Amino acid sequence: MHIHDYEKLWLAVSLLLILSLIGTVTYGAVGPGVAMVADSEPTVDATALDEDERFAEPRVERVGENEYAAYVVAYQFAFQPDPLVVPANSTVTFYVTSRDVIHGFEVVGTNANTMVIPGEVAKLTVETDGPAEYGIVCNEYCGAGHHGMSGTLEVVSQSEYEGQNGGDGE
Amino acid sequence: MARSEAAHAGVDDVSGDGEEFDPIGTLTLIGIYFVILVLSWVYIYYVEFLGRDLVVVG
Amino acid sequence: MSQALETDRTFYDRFPDEARVVRAALLSSFLALALGAFFGIVQTLHRTGVFRGLIDSTDYYTSLTAHGVFLALSFTTFFLVGLFTWAVVRSLDRPLVNIKITWTWYGLMAVGMTMTGVSILAGFTDAVDMSADVLFTFYAPLQAHPLFYAGLAVFILGSWIAGADWFRTFLAWRREHPDERIPLQTFMVLTTMTMWYIASSAVAASVLLFLLPWSLGLIEQVNPTLTRTLFWFFGHPVVYFWLMPAYLLWYTVLPTIAGGRLFSDPLARVVFVLFLLLSTPVGIHHQYLDPGIAEGFKFISMTNTMFLLLPSLLTAFTVVASVEYGARQRGGTGLLGWLTDLPWRKPEFAGMMLAGLMFAAGGFSGMVNAGMNINYLIHNTIWVPGHFHLTVGTAVALTFMAATYWIWPQITNKPIYSSQIGLFQVVLWFIGMALMSNAMHAQGILGVPRRTAEPEYANFEYPAMLGGFEELNVQIAIGGTLLFVSTVLFIGNVVLTMGNPRVSGLAESLSPALSGPDDAPLVLDRLRLWVSIAVVLVVLAYALPLAAIINRGGLLGPGVGTYPVWLAPALDALSAAATAIGGAVGETAAAIGGVVR
Repeated sequence: MHIHDYEKLWLAVSLLLILSLIGTVTYGAVGPGVAMVADSEPTVDATALDEDERFAEPRVERVGENEYAAYVVAYQFAFQPDPLVVPANSTVTFYVTSRDVIHGFEVVGTNANTMVIPGEVAKLTVETDGPAEYGIVCNEYCGAGHHGMSGTLEVVSQSEYEGQNGGDGE
Repeated sequence: MARSEAAHAGVDDVSGDGEEFDPIGTLTLIGIYFVILVLSWVYIYYVEFLGRDLVVVG
Repeated sequence: MSQALETDRTFYDRFPDEARVVRAALLSSFLALALGAFFGIVQTLHRTGVFRGLIDSTDYYTSLTAHGVFLALSFTTFFLVGLFTWAVVRSLDRPLVNIKITWTWYGLMAVGMTMTGVSILAGFTDAVDMSADVLFTFYAPLQAHPLFYAGLAVFILGSWIAGADWFRTFLAWRREHPDERIPLQTFMVLTTMTMWYIASSAVAASVLLFLLPWSLGLIEQVNPTLTRTLFWFFGHPVVYFWLMPAYLLWYTVLPTIAGGRLFSDPLARVVFVLFLLLSTPVGIHHQYLDPGIAEGFKFISMTNTMFLLLPSLLTAFTVVASVEYGARQRGGTGLLGWLTDLPWRKPEFAGMMLAGLMFAAGGFSGMVNAGMNINYLIHNTIWVPGHFHLTVGTAVALTFMAATYWIWPQITNKPIYSSQIGLFQVVLWFIGMALMSNAMHAQGILGVPRRTAEPEYANFEYPAMLGGFEELNVQIAIGGTLLFVSTVLFIGNVVLTMGNPRVSGLAESLSPALSGPDDAPLVLDRLRLWVSIAVVLVVLAYALPLAAIINRGGLLGPGVGTYPVWLAPALDALSAAATAIGGAVGETAAAIGGVVR
């Protein structure tokens, strides 16, 4: 088959581009350690979250030395708990599930972003910096009141967090 | 139609051996496009994406 | 057939029956375009807060469903079936085998889309107890009226019969011409339809096995991850289903309009084969942030998606080179000076070129969408519709409108009412989309979500950069308004053209390729081989993820076991295999590598 030399050159450059793109994404996973939301969490019964040990009472909980777990339930048309308060300079793992339809969970202006699917638990771990306040929005259409579905994430100083939680973090 | 297309391709002198037309302008344009693509990608991946708060690490 | 014959007789003269079908399909497509554009302007002004007086925010989603279904499914597909009918009949130079079958599929598609459309529009009134506010992705557990799903099924059935109609016509031609190469346009139609059969089988299964029975109350619940995955099995290749007709026009019509010739017929065939192979095993890239799907499957999907860039990058070269050849024939010189020697005043040329330029920009945002972990940055933000308004909303839509200025006289013998309005209209579309899409991408980076009636929130403010949220809203509103005006001008021009008297002397012929079909290896025309490889790739990419999803959530949803029960052992075995992701990654990579080489 006859291919012009210029087009052969472009073919080679294109393949190089494709490999570089895959390489960049791999670097992101290996270097800065960006991990994907995946299937690590077992499924839950979306219709019986009231009986689920983690989601019956959505909350933030201290689970280790400077490590916190945030159990979040999304439903038409709000997040629970709201606001979500976590300490600064800590490792926070969000466990997010839905008790009705598909929702989204996006901490606005950050990389914390996931689908929320009934029956599945989205798990994402982030490291917080200094105190800050972020909006949380549902970014998947979930029904007629979708546009009202938002919340707040408050990253507060360690001392303020201890104060709010009465130092019972253990 | 295919037959007549093929037949005409043969008689036309411009396409005699197919190498006489060098699309140098195309190569230039697409080279510029390539540079724009690479620069934009580097910017959005390393600055916009990795430079943000709350990078998901687990 | 002699060249002379083609130059003085239009498609309308030679194939009046087929021309009638093409006209019907195109007019259906323009009706959908008009409806979709109306909802488009309503949404643009509502979402940006410029004017919220026409609909309530709760009805915004009814409008958004209508906009998506009428434009993404109806406008595109009806134009495509008309164009493909023209392309097959023209390039084979023979009529369709049975025009009654042709009208049957057209009728099924029209009835199906009407059913779906009625179920959506009924959502605006409380007088009928019917709605389908599920957007064009119809993710369960949000449920639409059964008529919505039934209409979609009928519409898809119609498209399947359309494909069969073209295949039969091709086989009839093959018996008459046993030794000839498949003409390029027919080759493009057949590969595209093969891809469509593979892709649409999944959404048909999703609708018929799960969603329709569920909406009728025959089954209690569905597995939302499963129906979502089946949707995206179809939802990504459908993007190429829209794009392939635009590619067909860029490869086979645009070079002629530019006064040039297609640079390489063999490479055009390679590109369409690559699309057949790679369009489907990539859908999971829409689910990068889904819980319940292993990271390995997401990585495989990304690798396939990135290789899918290749045929588009090759197309960019081949099409631009074909146009450059035209400019050189017209006396163009210099590295870039030849760009001024092109027929920019013809709306069909300017429109297609501007569409291609927008597609190049869309290529960049598409790369970002395809990059697995960078998806955290833009997933479900307005960046995503910003991207596909460049691809389907411009590369496809603007090419179709531009092509109409060229093809409409061929199928009616009526000259276009006004080329000036046409030129103004395509340029206006380009400017409008440049404004709207750029601002949508920028808002996406700020974190503004897609699919919402009111993107402003009381409890927080968006970070400001690249222009603030409000300023970008103004850009979106202006851009959307220009797009609406452009659509009105297009529809008006077509309607006025229909009032023109029929004349003769409008016939246009297509120039042959510089490197013709005889330079293409024969293996490219062996469709059975490519279909087999395509199916193997789809199985490699989807068997394990689907097995894992069913194993996790059950065939009929969480809390319910796998049904029927005899499936369970087989699924267990498959899910055990699913844990061996590492191996699968390697295999797929090797297979893709082999195909690309």
